[in-house]
Amino acid sequence: MSLVQRNRFRRALISLGTIAVVYGVAAEVGRYVLPHRIWMDVHYIDNVELLPTYRSLAEEMAFLLQSWILPDSILVSTGRILAGFVLGAATGIAVGLATGRAARLEYLADPWMMLLRFTPALALLPLYVIWFGYGEASKILLIATSVAVVVMLGAHHAVRGVPQVYLDAARALGASRSLIFRKVVLPAAFPQIFASLRVALGLAWVTIVVAELIDAKMPSLGYLLALSGAYPRVPQMLIGLGTIAALVFLSDMLALSLHAKVTRWMRRTG
Amino acid sequence: MVRQRFWLGLSSLVVLVLAYTLLSNAYRFFEVSKLAEPIGSALQPDVLPPTQAIVQAVVDLIKGPGAQPPPDEPAHMHHHQHSSDHVGVLLQQGVTLQASLAITIARVLFGMVVGAPLGILIGLLMGLSRRTEDYVHPVYVLVRSVPPLAFITYIMLWLGHTEAHRLIPIVYAVAATMVIPTYHGVRDLASTYLVAARSLGARGWLLARKVLLPAAGPAVLSGLRYALAIAWMTAVGAEMLMAENGMGNLIVGGGMWASRLQTRSDPAVVMVGILTLAIAGWLMDSGARLLTIRLTRWAR
Repeated sequence: MSLVQRNRFRRALISLGTIAVVYGVAAEVGRYVLPHRIWMDVHYIDNVELLPTYRSLAEEMAFLLQSWILPDSILVSTGRILAGFVLGAATGIAVGLATGRAARLEYLADPWMMLLRFTPALALLPLYVIWFGYGEASKILLIATSVAVVVMLGAHHAVRGVPQVYLDAARALGASRSLIFRKVVLPAAFPQIFASLRVALGLAWVTIVVAELIDAKMPSLGYLLALSGAYPRVPQMLIGLGTIAALVFLSDMLALSLHAKVTRWMRRTG
Repeated sequence: MVRQRFWLGLSSLVVLVLAYTLLSNAYRFFEVSKLAEPIGSALQPDVLPPTQAIVQAVVDLIKGPGAQPPPDEPAHMHHHQHSSDHVGVLLQQGVTLQASLAITIARVLFGMVVGAPLGILIGLLMGLSRRTEDYVHPVYVLVRSVPPLAFITYIMLWLGHTEAHRLIPIVYAVAATMVIPTYHGVRDLASTYLVAARSLGARGWLLARKVLLPAAGPAVLSGLRYALAIAWMTAVGAEMLMAENGMGNLIVGGGMWASRLQTRSDPAVVMVGILTLAIAGWLMDSGARLLTIRLTRWAR
């Protein structure tokens, strides 16, 4: 470990540690200072811990783990994300590559891409409920849509961003269109497509919080959050938030390390 | 080239709209329910709203409550009818398309005005000093991982049912988005221009205004455009979840969303909402793009 890295690690530890300690103290003080009875819309709610102490967080965590609520929710929600992500990414890459490669196709798709770009995917949910039913298909398709739009734009711009010189050089050497596509366009566009996949993965996690409010059944992180807000049960709410944040963080780290691995050939050696 | 692009784009718009109109009006010409199952139920007018119904919904929603005769029953009777008449419920609440759009745009702009400087400031601090970066970056990564729509209920517990829990997620989303482009804008120049300017004796305000701002400007501006799209999406999401006005509310038909979704909303209104959002978002982005081009003209 170099000195810079060691410094970095130490400082990260200090700032995260400080926040953890400050939160712990604030929560202990808050037990006496903060109101336990709050006015919510039309009625009072009693026994609210606005800042749960570490002890109540740990108790809640133990309950959620022992009852298998949290592990099951993580599995179910991650499964939905994966299904939607794979579906959306495949569609998005296929369409983006096609419109990036064929100018006429791009012109035809242009107005629709412009509209899709600024359609908040969440707004499609009521429509999907009508079209695909009040169940699993709507959730997965909503995630797939929000992923597909981002990836489609990413793939399109990635292909358009391939330097004309490469294409001209390959053509001058007699490469066919399909060979140019496989050996020049795809490798050159790959890093940017991957970057858009990473953004889309983060977006998929934003989408699921809302998508899981329909046909809400228990093992699912989105409903866990919604339910904890309905009681309201703050320790459970914070654990739900933390779990989603951790999963977002982990999937982003995974994407980053994969990206580094598959684009290793791009870095010049020596 | 440009002309071909225009005509091909226009023709694909026209062809698809015509095809949709024909398809959605098929139920008028023959018994669609006799067709094979997924198609038969998909062609029903309450699943695939006919184009004229969408246009009618636009006209009604723009004209506002005055357009409809006042109902005989008291308002709360209509509360249970929303699935049959989404537009009617909206009009009874005094919702119009343009007012909803204005409210959503105001929320987005508020998020941009408050969130962008915040994010830029954090990005600047991180980009300018390695020490600050080491301290702040881990916290930033931690905070950024929380989806903005997920903590709406938590804010509600603290601040009650107010405007705050619709605005805070937008501000947060914009700020979190702006940090990274600013950071990279500053970092990428730090090595070259900054050292050169410093060695020529520039510092303080002069350094910030003449070197930092122009050099990091393009990255920050393109970040702002991206943040605008994020704010747009977050605002609609927040309104769908917990707001009694704005475009998100228009789409889900008012009230609390989870209960509302169990009833079916009118697909025509949802489509009006989506199209309005898409067009307004596109217009806002075009404005931002023109502004970016104007402001960074020197860089070309």
